[in-house]
Amino acid sequence: MKKVLIILSVFLLIGCVKDDDILSPIDNNIVDVPESLVISDLQGIKVESTIVTSEVKMNVKLPYTGTYRVKIRDIGKELISQEKLQANEGDNILKVYVSSLENNGYTLELTDNNHDVLGITSIVVNN
Amino acid sequence: MKKILTLLVSVLCTLNVFGQSSMDYSKVNTVTQVGDTLIVKYQYFKGTDVNGNDMPDATLYQFDIQHNNKLLDVIENAWQPTSNSSQKAVNTWNGYKFTIDSEKDQTDFDGQYLSWLSGDATYGTNADWSVQRVTYQDVTSLSSGDEIMKVSYKIKDKANSNYTDYTNLINVNWANYKEADGTQIDVTGQSNIGLTGIQGGDAGNVSISVSSNVITNNIGDGSDFSYTIYAKGDTQTPLASGGFDAAGDATVQGLENDVEYDLYVSIDSSKEYLDNVVTVSDLALVFAEAIGAGNSPNGISTTFDYYLQSILANVVGTSIPAGGDINFDDSYEILAYLQGVESTNTTFISKTNDAFNISGIKSTFGDEVNGIATVSPTFKPTDNDKSFQFAHTLGGDVNFSHGFEPTSTNADIPTSAQSTTTQRSMMVRGAKLNPETANLELTSELQNGQVVLTIGSQVTDMIGAQFNITYDKTRLVLDNVVFDTGNEMTNFSNHLEESGKVNIGSFDQNFETNIKTGTPYKLIFIPIVELQNTSGLITFKVNEGVKADGTQIKFIMD
Repeated sequence: MKKVLIILSVFLLIGCVKDDDILSPIDNNIVDVPESLVISDLQGIKVESTIVTSEVKMNVKLPYTGTYRVKIRDIGKELISQEKLQANEGDNILKVYVSSLENNGYTLELTDNNHDVLGITSIVVNN
Repeated sequence: MKKILTLLVSVLCTLNVFGQSSMDYSKVNTVTQVGDTLIVKYQYFKGTDVNGNDMPDATLYQFDIQHNNKLLDVIENAWQPTSNSSQKAVNTWNGYKFTIDSEKDQTDFDGQYLSWLSGDATYGTNADWSVQRVTYQDVTSLSSGDEIMKVSYKIKDKANSNYTDYTNLINVNWANYKEADGTQIDVTGQSNIGLTGIQGGDAGNVSISVSSNVITNNIGDGSDFSYTIYAKGDTQTPLASGGFDAAGDATVQGLENDVEYDLYVSIDSSKEYLDNVVTVSDLALVFAEAIGAGNSPNGISTTFDYYLQSILANVVGTSIPAGGDINFDDSYEILAYLQGVESTNTTFISKTNDAFNISGIKSTFGDEVNGIATVSPTFKPTDNDKSFQFAHTLGGDVNFSHGFEPTSTNADIPTSAQSTTTQRSMMVRGAKLNPETANLELTSELQNGQVVLTIGSQVTDMIGAQFNITYDKTRLVLDNVVFDTGNEMTNFSNHLEESGKVNIGSFDQNFETNIKTGTPYKLIFIPIVELQNTSGLITFKVNEGVKADGTQIKFIMD
């Protein structure tokens, strides 16, 4: 009898759960995005702070999983640093390291592997 | 009747002209410079009548002199008559200027005197002028031509005044000569004394500027440069020094007009970009010269475009002006520098904390004299020329990447003296060394826990290339440099660990083999902190290639 009651209770509990919770697909890229890095658009790049010393967190939000590039350009738009990375669809919390950059203003450019720009932002290095 | 009257007036006028005595004032000495002493003598001349007979003698000689006190300073009044019976006086009023009676000639000195007495000529206040009244009286008359007084004036600098020249300095306002019985004597004279060609004096604001590709190409700016001014021929005692502004301009004060000075421009040697002055492009130019024109610049042929390049390329050994030459000593010295090999030689390769400055007047920068490039530091401010342009370049910078490329036609090596393989004289003057461009890809990424920088190239006609890489030494350690440039290449890697820099590149000294396409260079770093990605960890500054003819290739990176 005790076993029957336990089984019944389990069914009752399941019955109380919303359908949405059961039917939602499993998200493989569950990232805890700080409020300062939330990107409302489907893709883009955002830094936690515009003025940067040593390093800063950035959110790279992508339309699909794949190979992307983060480019750093100087005031004359010349490319001075480029990272190629594999990243997941959605938010990706990464970092920009600026210790080897001169104190100056730079633009951060997010592109796909074919150099098509997905987002752009700026930083000011103040080491 | 009318004719008679006209004739009478004419006769009277003629009598008047011939009968006047004069107050003559003239310069005793020649003056040319501010600070010189001008001596003016004031002289009595007795008049004559129409028949040539002397006019009556005077016993009173009185006249007013005014001088521009902004341009002259009275330093002495010296009486010239030696009579013991004379009475003499000089009175001075500063801040007054005579306004003549315009109804009379200015040089009608006795007439102006009478007008002054009647109030038709007046003294008004004027801070720029001073008046001296000279009075000499004696029972014995002066002889015609006797000097009454010599006045010494010191010439002042007009830069401190509102005057632009010295053309009106001294006027006699009026003269009062009287006979012993009080009869007024007619007196005439000249209107003024002025001077021309006075040199020297404060030059005021003198504008100077510096031209360099450091400024033009935004490598740095004009504030990275400074100047030092010496008397011409001196290099020991600076007369003035200072910095240029961001645009490369400066204003110098305290110089004198019509004086020659030497000005030398220096670059702030602490600037890190100076490590990028001498690169594989310069190396290629020097190697080509050493191979193809061993006896240049005085010899038969040269690969250079400008005489000045022979000075810049001569980084070791006897200097060009002293009979030196561009040879393999110079090219291998540069190669050793790029490879990070310490040289025991004294070299003239510009780098951070070790800049070899060369500067001179821009318009003649690098001009050839007797087969040798020259630069002139000399300039001379004058009233009409207070703006001077200078150019600057650096030892070892053979392709002028951080210097001023000459624009004077006299700086060009004639095509007839150039090696036929390197003639670029059809290009625009001052742009002979303009680089070509080519696309290249430099990317960093995390691979198996390592940070890998790959340099991908599809450029097919490079005999040399160089990449100056800066990395975050607080997070990375350089582990390895992998070259895949081809078997004929001389590769170099200069790791400056303390500053987190590594310069890599390749060069074919025979100018025959090109660097392999694909991935000729790969740098492998070990992270010393946990990394999720590599953005910003590795940056690149100098990225350039060079073709067999010495043309620089500037890489455009995607």
